[in-house]
Amino acid sequence: MAGCSFAVPRGTICGLIGPNGSGKTTTFNLLTGLAKPDGGAVLYRGEDIAGMKPYQVFRRGITRTFQITRIFREMTVLENMLSVTGLAAAERIARARADELLALVNLTHLRAEYGGRLSYGQQKLLEFARALMTDPDVILLDEPAAGINRTLLQHLLDHIHRLHEQGKTIVIVEHDMNVIMNHCERIFVMDYGVKIAEGPPAAIQGDERVIEAYFGRRRAAADVGR
Amino acid sequence: MARHEHIRNLVLLGMAGLALAVLPHGLSIYFRSFALFTMMYVVLALSWNVISGFTGYTSFGHVAFYGIGAYTCAILVTDYRWHWLSTLGVAAALAALGALALGYPVLRLKGPYFAIAMLGAAEGTRVIVTVWDSLTHGGLGISLPSAETSLETYYAMLALMLVTAAVAYAVGHSRFGIRLNAIREDEVAAEALGIDATRYKLAAFVLSAVFPAMAGGIQAYKVLYIDPPSVFFIQITIAMALMSMLGGKGTVIGPILGAVVLYSVQEATWVNFPTAHLIAYGLFIVLVARFLPRGLMGLAIDRGWVRKGMVH
Repeated sequence: MAGCSFAVPRGTICGLIGPNGSGKTTTFNLLTGLAKPDGGAVLYRGEDIAGMKPYQVFRRGITRTFQITRIFREMTVLENMLSVTGLAAAERIARARADELLALVNLTHLRAEYGGRLSYGQQKLLEFARALMTDPDVILLDEPAAGINRTLLQHLLDHIHRLHEQGKTIVIVEHDMNVIMNHCERIFVMDYGVKIAEGPPAAIQGDERVIEAYFGRRRAAADVGR
Repeated sequence: MARHEHIRNLVLLGMAGLALAVLPHGLSIYFRSFALFTMMYVVLALSWNVISGFTGYTSFGHVAFYGIGAYTCAILVTDYRWHWLSTLGVAAALAALGALALGYPVLRLKGPYFAIAMLGAAEGTRVIVTVWDSLTHGGLGISLPSAETSLETYYAMLALMLVTAAVAYAVGHSRFGIRLNAIREDEVAAEALGIDATRYKLAAFVLSAVFPAMAGGIQAYKVLYIDPPSVFFIQITIAMALMSMLGGKGTVIGPILGAVVLYSVQEATWVNFPTAHLIAYGLFIVLVARFLPRGLMGLAIDRGWVRKGMVH
């Protein structure tokens, strides 16, 4: 990445798109402490969190999911939920929250099952629910639509909108353009580690540089949103 | 797990303790020793399990702490006339400090590198103890004076085993334990959920060091002669690991079961053929890895006799 600059307005749903290798996941890694920038800053509520350790970033209210789900396979669904820190000391409060979230994603009946035995879609939901245990303010979702069916995706999008209504800030990295164009208020486009475009869906769809990045120079009037 | 289940388990532990407390009066010296060493291996296996089973940092050098404990006790009793029980506190403290100092650099290593580093640490400790003969009597070893019947050390080991089991239980069924498991499963994801892995690993490591140290101290006072090779014996590390794995590492009952089973089998079969020891252990390792990768407890869980997970 080189000379990238973003500003994510609070309380919005933003999309981060770009061809493979453009630096989207790297951006998430830089935001959450999994990678250290050589220069620049990551400002959150006036504080520069660049270079902080992941657990410190998490405790400030920023959470993320991963491109390939990273649930704890040899632990039960409930244990996955309870592994999160920063909750009230009383275990019953944590459990209540876990049960609430598991009910939300329809995984209650699997709370005693090993995470590794869940289907891919269920694992994604588990990772999503787990990320919400501490009621974070910022939620970064790395390809939430990948590998799941339409019905499940719709459930996920409903949850995302519900979070949005609660005032959360959400950034979604996605390749599924339907998701991005129909659900994001603002879109950032990256290519080769640089931000090449930024704006609402309508502006991005017609943007020449975006079309070029995805489809190459020769493609004329290819509507990225279709 | 509901509160009443915890209470029930504690009561069971207490009853086992009582039974074991009454036991030695009816046993010959040989069987008292057998019981003592079985309990010792329970302590070692449970402790090893905290860092290697729960946290996933497989240690091939835990015998270092055992050896430190043995030597602490032996030196203080023989050269400084301490009462042997009070040396155990010092042994635990030294092991804790050692674990902190060693753990900080070594826990940054992953998987096999950590295992080998621990192996190196154990060997290094053995060499230091051998060379520092002004303190440790070096290769000559230390002969301890004794005034005890075999009962004192038996009860000390019993008490140590009960405490270790209670601590392992508390760790295993708590959110602290869940977080150790999370570190084992996926340290990156664990960090992303707010777990300060460095701190948790160090805590687990220190916890896993203090009980073997005390076990080593009691053992020294029991056998009344120690020297570097007998105390920093690789077989002890292998035994700890194998017992834990056989029983089911990552559980609480697993290491206890594994220790009892393996030590009993060992004493019943090849104890008279010391050369067969390592061969037998090797065979066991292969069998466990091939047929019981999750140990006896894993088998029980798969059959549905035991619930999945540690927190319900």
